[in-house]
Amino acid sequence: MAEPILDIQNLNSWYGKGKDRVQALKNVSLTLAPGEALGIVGESGSGKTTLAKCVLGLVTDYQGILRVNSSRPQMVFQDPYGSLNPARTVGWFLEEALRASGVRDRKERKARAVDMLVQVGLTEEHYGRKPARLSGGQRQRVSIAAALIQGSKLIVLDEPVSALDVTLQAQILQLLADLREKYRLSYLFISHDLAVVYQLCDRVCVMYHGQVVEEGDVDAVYDDPQHDYTKKLLAASLALD
Amino acid sequence: MERRKNWYLTLGLALTVLSVGYSALGLFWTPYSPTAISTADQYAAPSVSHLFGCDHMGRDVFSRTLEGASATLTIALAVLAIGFAAGLVLGALCGYYGGAADAFVMRVCDAVAAFPSVLLGLVVIAVIGPGKYNVILALGVLFIPSFARLARGEFLKYRDRDFVRAARLMGVSNLRIIFVHILPNTWPVLLSGLTIGFNNAVLAEASMSYLGIGVTPPDTSLGRMISEAQSYFATSPWLILFPALVMILMILGVGMVGEGIRERLGDK
Repeated sequence: MAEPILDIQNLNSWYGKGKDRVQALKNVSLTLAPGEALGIVGESGSGKTTLAKCVLGLVTDYQGILRVNSSRPQMVFQDPYGSLNPARTVGWFLEEALRASGVRDRKERKARAVDMLVQVGLTEEHYGRKPARLSGGQRQRVSIAAALIQGSKLIVLDEPVSALDVTLQAQILQLLADLREKYRLSYLFISHDLAVVYQLCDRVCVMYHGQVVEEGDVDAVYDDPQHDYTKKLLAASLALD
Repeated sequence: MERRKNWYLTLGLALTVLSVGYSALGLFWTPYSPTAISTADQYAAPSVSHLFGCDHMGRDVFSRTLEGASATLTIALAVLAIGFAAGLVLGALCGYYGGAADAFVMRVCDAVAAFPSVLLGLVVIAVIGPGKYNVILALGVLFIPSFARLARGEFLKYRDRDFVRAARLMGVSNLRIIFVHILPNTWPVLLSGLTIGFNNAVLAEASMSYLGIGVTPPDTSLGRMISEAQSYFATSPWLILFPALVMILMILGVGMVGEGIRERLGDK
């Protein structure tokens, strides 16, 4: 097996300070292979967001082993209305990522930004637009473009479709699947929606109170859940469908 | 998308252009010398040769309001330049980074803001002496806290937004995030704050000149003119009427522009 792009062993993490310091992750271990998509499922407070923040380097209060074998892992946020700068155009934002990674040539930046827009199903026409003139789905496509344009291979997706309606969800999930194959991306896909995880991920990791309670291939976990909490989650999602 | 006609902005801009134009004219041209004394014209009422009349020394009030308006405008703008630039940088850094330095700077601002700026200005002038440039310096420094507070609030609002997080993940430097990513989003609020600050600066200069600690003769300003004219108000009301009118138009225009900006902001 190739070296994992993400290797986490016995990770413990806390948030808060002093008396209010609370343990958010307890002995979490997981690995992610290049090109693999791993779903992290759990309700709010289960530690899945803290895990993502550790991977992205936004949380530093942790102990254990955390190895990231990718330059600057990026994130696609849940709310497509907050993840783009309202005062700047789409093209400017994409080019800003390139400026930050040292691409000095203007023409090259523009060409790469436009190319990335096409990759996520938009056109050159969207290059000069501000976020206010884009729909929710288009914004999420731009967010994805911004996450990919620096060439990062590890992408953390934090509920990237939960703010979208069902038709759009399917389109964005398809786009994510296509991009993953094309660029051999690894996804850490955070969600509370089991159906969405089932569609996009190879493996799933169920978190409960800061611990990984169950982990395995999506088919195995969905067909034959072992942990009580996983069974409850599955039952709840079936009831909704 | 149809936008309601923004009367505040339209009318405010018109008045502002008018009063700024009036002040700008005063920089280059006045019909008479603003300081030329003529005993024959003492207390002359408004007429064709002296549009706004003459004062107790026979000086042409129209010429003096032109010069006074330009002095008031330049002082107010210079005060804003100091107060806004320093306040913006201080508030942006405090709001974005937070922490102990932020708490310290804000307590200092609270302490300064606890006193009326004219009162503090009086103390500063007592120490460094009166005159146009000292007034600018004193008021400019005293205006820093209000702008710092305004800017801090805005940057605090934006620092945890996802687009700022995304920029951090991309590896954009903090200073660039502050001044290139966040700043353009804060302009509507900061600009409307700037219009309020302008009016406060005009009034503060007028108050200080009125108290005799602002602009010193032979220089003049609108506040100084009102101060000089108060003894003659009953007999020659035009001495106070015209400089006051020019000042009111200036404040009203800029104030309405501010209101217009806020209204447009509310439209979004």
